[in-house]
Amino acid sequence: MIKSHPSEAILYQYAAGDLGASMTLVVGTHIDMCPVCQQTVGEIEEDLCRQHLDTVVETLTVPSSDHEGISKAHCDKMLEEIFSSEAKPPVKAEELICLEGRRFILPRTLAHNRSRIGDWTNMVGKLWRAPVNVGPKGHTNLIYMAPGTQVPEHTHKGQEATLVVDGVFNDEKDIYYNGDFILLDGERTHTPQTTDHDCLTLATLDAPLHFTSGISRLLNPFSSLFFRT
Amino acid sequence: MQVMSERTSQRGVMKASQQDTADKAAELLAKVAESRSRAAFSELFSHFAPKLQAYGTRQFGNEQTAMDLVQETMTNVWHKAHLFKPDRGSPSTWIFTIARNIRFDLLRKNKKRKDDISADELWPILAEKNDSLDDGYALDNDVLMQEIAHYYGQLPNAQRVVVEKIYIEGKSQQEVSDSLGIPLGTVKSRTRLALKKLKELIVEHD
Repeated sequence: MIKSHPSEAILYQYAAGDLGASMTLVVGTHIDMCPVCQQTVGEIEEDLCRQHLDTVVETLTVPSSDHEGISKAHCDKMLEEIFSSEAKPPVKAEELICLEGRRFILPRTLAHNRSRIGDWTNMVGKLWRAPVNVGPKGHTNLIYMAPGTQVPEHTHKGQEATLVVDGVFNDEKDIYYNGDFILLDGERTHTPQTTDHDCLTLATLDAPLHFTSGISRLLNPFSSLFFRT
Repeated sequence: MQVMSERTSQRGVMKASQQDTADKAAELLAKVAESRSRAAFSELFSHFAPKLQAYGTRQFGNEQTAMDLVQETMTNVWHKAHLFKPDRGSPSTWIFTIARNIRFDLLRKNKKRKDDISADELWPILAEKNDSLDDGYALDNDVLMQEIAHYYGQLPNAQRVVVEKIYIEGKSQQEVSDSLGIPLGTVKSRTRLALKKLKELIVEHD
């Protein structure tokens, strides 16, 4: 059972299309994995539809409304264009991703962005990263931690959203399983690690990581490696 | 759709007529999907285009962009009507989510780079793979059939029969409609209500 969900405010922004691309990807992938949030988002969409579409009184059939509504001629022209248009080819999905002999099935939204996932590179130890190219501003990566891996203690200069796609990891505060969505801001220091299991996460950052403890501070000049796309 | 104009004058029957409107729109979408009916689509267009235009105008503050939103949204409705699944929600909500995606793309159009992401990738609502019933209402895979069977007992008889035929016997909604001699719309609404109820029971129980 997933225990860590995006806030209702985030789900609302997601459903309205008001989140940025990278956050939409992470939240959408969580929703694929989470029946509870699927239901909530369905309800929010109904609610948004009621606000934006259902309450609007029709003006179309009133002939004098050519300023407010759409004129008959304009309608007919648009209909003609629609009938003669070609269907857009659907976006292709590919579910499988492999690394170090491990195979993962990607959730639906992420699978539809499979072609945007770049090559895996090894960062430190048994920590791997593959960039997800979702536009110029998002610093979005798949992060793979083999069993017994620790990410050096760090804080975030901005917000970091992390989704467990497959596996288990923990930090000082809690343990996270498949589907858990974790949103961190600059105020919290944490040290993600795996023990017996490995873990594939999808993470998006809006500022570089900042390492805070001991020798790992030496990594700070390289912290851009963690999200460069 | 005349029911809509009645609705505004008779607030008391609003709920019932809204349901009628949704059923009517679902029927029209089915006609577009099955027989590419231009007449059915034109009726949908007359109903939804002004609503979409008003939404677009509020979002963009620009008539031309609002009209682009109307056209692109309705173009998707024309080509993708077969992807509308009545058991998942109302036709207007489905059309709203298409418009939401078009809006996302139109807002980003100015700063668009060559390989910039599109809303169809982020919200794959129009992906063909959508149509399997079981991925639809997302009954959690972990919930076993035996556990679900327990909840069936709490459904009204009419709904349970429909759900069993579809999900256990693997019949299509049309086949269920034929075999029980009830209208397709009734099969669809019973399926929707039953799944909603089951889901509530399961979520509650967790």
